[in-house]
This record gives sequence, C-alpha cells and structure tokens, in this order.
Amino acid sequence: MARIIGGIGTSHVPTIGVAYDKGRQADPVWAPLFDGYKPVAEWLAEKKPDVLLFFYNDHASTMFFDLYPTFALGIGDRFPIADEGAGLRDLPQIRGNVDFQAHIGESLVNDEFDLAFFQNKPIDHGIASPLPLMWPHEPDWPGVVVPIAVNVLQYPLPTGRRCYRLGQAVRRAIESYPEDLSVVVVGTGGLSHQIHGERAGYNDTDWDMEFLEQLCDTPEKLLHLRHADYVRLGGAESVEQIMWLAMRGALPDRLTEIHRNYYLMTTTAMTVVVYEEAGERAQPSAASTSVEA
Amino acid sequence: MFTQNPQTVGIEELTGTYVFDLRTCNRTLAFNRFFWNMIRPKYRQAFLDDEEAAMTVASLSDEEKALVRARDWLGIVQYGVNFFVLEKWARVVRRTNLEVYAIMRGETLEEFMQTRAVPHAT
Repeated sequence: MARIIGGIGTSHVPTIGVAYDKGRQADPVWAPLFDGYKPVAEWLAEKKPDVLLFFYNDHASTMFFDLYPTFALGIGDRFPIADEGAGLRDLPQIRGNVDFQAHIGESLVNDEFDLAFFQNKPIDHGIASPLPLMWPHEPDWPGVVVPIAVNVLQYPLPTGRRCYRLGQAVRRAIESYPEDLSVVVVGTGGLSHQIHGERAGYNDTDWDMEFLEQLCDTPEKLLHLRHADYVRLGGAESVEQIMWLAMRGALPDRLTEIHRNYYLMTTTAMTVVVYEEAGERAQPSAASTSVEA
Repeated sequence: MFTQNPQTVGIEELTGTYVFDLRTCNRTLAFNRFFWNMIRPKYRQAFLDDEEAAMTVASLSDEEKALVRARDWLGIVQYGVNFFVLEKWARVVRRTNLEVYAIMRGETLEEFMQTRAVPHAT
C-alpha cells in the first residue's frame, strides 16, 4: 500500500529559481534562503520518498483564462519546465508515474472531486522554483511528481475548506494504491506577500507565525477563513496558502514540525516547513528552526 | 444583476488591491492574452520588432494600446490585467518584478528597497 510519510510547505517564488540558476547559493543575500532548504534536502535524502505530490498553482503559464480549471491533475511520464518569458531553464524534465497519477485521478473523481486533467503540458515555477532546492537533479530527479494545480488566480477560487477536504481525499487515494510507494505531500505558495497594485510589498510576519502554528496544531481553526481574510491579513497573493491547507488535509491529525526556515528578504515571506506525524521522531529536539525577517 | 461573491467581501476596502474575477476576465481576455503570449519566443520577437503591429494583431483597443505605450504598469493592473501574465511581459521589456512593484507603489526602486528587510537584495 502507498503511504504518506510526511509533508512540506514551501514558497514558490520565481526569483528563487533565477538565483538558483545563477549559482547564488552562497551569496550573503540569498544564503539564508538556500541554507534553509538544506535540512529539507537532507530529510528527503534520508527518507527517500518515491513520490512528491504537489499542490501548486499554474501562473497562467500553461493554462490560460479562456479555460482555467479549479483543480487539475497532471498525467505523464515527463513534464517539461515552462518558459515563462525569460527562456528555458537548465533542468531535466520533471518525472511522473502514469499509473499512480491515473489512480489518484480516478479515486478523487469517484470520491466526488471532479478534477480536470492535463497531459503533456509544461510545469512552471509553482513547482520548478523550490524543487531543485529539495531534490537533486543530476543527471535526473530521484523520484516522480504528482502535480495537482489549484486555481488561486481567478476568482471564484476554491475555498480553504474545500482545499483541506481535497487533501483528505488525496490521502484516501494514496492509501488505496496497492503498490508500496512512499509519498511526501507538498503545499506551495505564500507566505505573506502582495505583488500587484499600490499595496504591493505588504507583509505581516506575526500573521505568518500564527498561520504556521495553527496549520500544524489546529488546522480546523483556519477553515473558516474566507479569501478576503487571507488577502487582508497576508496580502492579496497570500491567498495561495489555501494550498498549504490541502497539504495539511492529507496529513495525520497530530504533527511535529521538524524544520522551519522563514526569510522575508524583499517582497515574499519565503518559508519552508517539514512535517512528520507526531511520535515519528524519538528526539523532537532535533528540530531546526531559523527565522529571519 | 450583479451579485457579490461572499468570499471576496471586504477586498474592495483594501486600498490598492484589485480582484481578478470572471467579470474582469470577460472584459479583458484579449488584453490578458496579449501579455500571456509573451511566453512564446515568436510573440516576444514580434513585440520587440514592431510594438504597434503586435498590438494591432492582438486586437487591442486604443485605451489598451495607450497603456502599453506608456508602460503604465499600475494602469494596466487597474484596467483588469492579472499580474501573472503582466510579469511575462516585464521580462520582455527588461523590467524586474521589484522595479514593477516600486512603480505600482509610486516609488523609485531605491525608495522601495529602503522599505524592505534586505534593502541591498537583488
């Protein structure tokens, strides 16, 4: 049986990808970000998951507003990395597992989540920005990705509660797959940021910390938040944190946060957090936390 | 008859924040598509070769063309363009996102960066 062995929440800021491609890992301005992903990469190297299942959003790279799906699952052995206006990145195509993706799609639809499906479409910085910081990719990625795109661009967006329930259904889908695959679920986006209009540059670190605390310990308290609440509390584009709720919905009730890095450099509170089921680790003191804002 | 999405009630009270919804998109689809097309080298080159011709081919209105000519980033957002297609055009006209944020706030890049946690970041 396939099983979920943990979760990751991560920002997906496009400039992370640009800095990565330019080799700025040791640049003092960027090091607090890249260093914060090293424990994540080490955790993944130790746990060796077969699959990373991503809740991410397409930034109108592959999908356009003439037909923009609320939820869409990608099917394919390979996904190209999208050209978002600045040319192609030097990364191998993302790997997939068609049987596993198709099973998840069938399970979700039979569970009343009527997703759209895409095939042979590029994947943009929603996944490709943080992925190389977490997983080695030379000569190729060590595992496969299940991409689930969530509409966080064009209102009406799915509610936070709906995303959480999608995560719960994804857990049922994974656990009904007969093959012994180990899966890490990843929620992307956030934390606080606004990148349009005169309010661009808005952040609130206190709210970000409260969100992380509630997400880990009392996620049901977040489910009543409306999109307007996220926009007010964390800036317009922080509404994408509903994708962290989807990740949380796929995880067990009691969690231990084993790593957190928070780096508000310019506009986005760039954050990465790793979760395991509570009790998985003998020594919770091994947790590493770094906060810079 | 206009009906309000309960999930977005209150956003209109936040100064400098614009909801991109189905009504907006219905009004501005061609303009959004013009910027979205910049993910393709062919459209990037066509724009760089002849801006006016590229805008005419994309069926932009006179008002939309004027916004593009003026590089009026805030005006384009207020008109109803989604930032995530706009940023693809920013790459083509060699503006960084930080520069665009500063312009939308009515600041120089230097002024904007002084408000940031790491002002010397690039």
